[in-house]
Amino acid sequence: MLTNKTALITGSNRGIGFSILENFAKHGCNIYAHSRKENEDFKMRTKEIALKYGVKINHIIFDLRNSNDMRAAIMPIIKSKISIDILVNSAGIIHGGLFQMTPVSDIRNVFDINFFGMLEITQLVSRYMVRNKKGSIINIASVAGIDLSAGNSAYGVSKAAVIAFSKTLSDELSKYGIRVNAIAPSLTNTEMANTSEAKKERELLSMSINSPFERMAEPNEIADLASFLASDNSSFINGQVIRIDGGNKF
Amino acid sequence: MTNIEKYKKAFLDSFEAEESTIEALEYESIAAWDSVGHMVLVAALEEAFDIMLEMDDIIDFSGFERGKEILGGYDVAF
Repeated sequence: MLTNKTALITGSNRGIGFSILENFAKHGCNIYAHSRKENEDFKMRTKEIALKYGVKINHIIFDLRNSNDMRAAIMPIIKSKISIDILVNSAGIIHGGLFQMTPVSDIRNVFDINFFGMLEITQLVSRYMVRNKKGSIINIASVAGIDLSAGNSAYGVSKAAVIAFSKTLSDELSKYGIRVNAIAPSLTNTEMANTSEAKKERELLSMSINSPFERMAEPNEIADLASFLASDNSSFINGQVIRIDGGNKF
Repeated sequence: MTNIEKYKKAFLDSFEAEESTIEALEYESIAAWDSVGHMVLVAALEEAFDIMLEMDDIIDFSGFERGKEILGGYDVAF
């Protein structure tokens, strides 16, 4: 489905991002795997995936809050003339708390990573996609950015911004043959969602398992949709925000 | 191909304009050089000269002649 395509995936070292990396590789996609820090275990796992599926996986490392490091990492890819066909903005942090109890500095930090970092890398990569007159950008949002329940003044609102941005960008970039869509998963069964700290955050974000299936989403269920949206099979799907929540009734 | 030839080619390819007219071109002086065409031109220039323009320079790129000055800042000599 993604043979001969190249994707850049942010936050690909864990959770949904890692699942998307593995799924894309399974479909024959070469990958630039972004992570914030060097991680030997991650490198080993991606090496195994690359061998298993016969694809190339290159690592790029930078903090999304650092513009200079981001440019330094992206420029060599652009200069290499390798076409980036797919950008998946998966990196993000979770933060829960009632607005009156949340320092604005915390909200800024969440926005710096979940929103502004995503804007900046999208600006760099989409300009490159314009040259090629094609591309698919997939932003990982959250149902929290649609439902916006109590406790979401940082995380949920940042994801609402991601959703709004995705819609605007899809309208701007469609002229260049680039599609932009967002995926809004409900609570997903990742390592990040299952730590004791994360469970506390989930309570603060009013995120619970409300699906009629009585379970969380699995990361591969998000990744399957990402692969479809990245592929030419979804060539007329643009500017959409797709919930994956098992029929959750908010 | 010289730099000025590459520069002109980027305009010709982006706007499908007559060669005799391109030196007088300015942003929005022709229908093809609208905001969409502008980004197509930027992409063509970045590819031709292997550079990445800063956002301020993209905004400031108001015409054929001004563009030459801006590219000078990226070590592109005409």
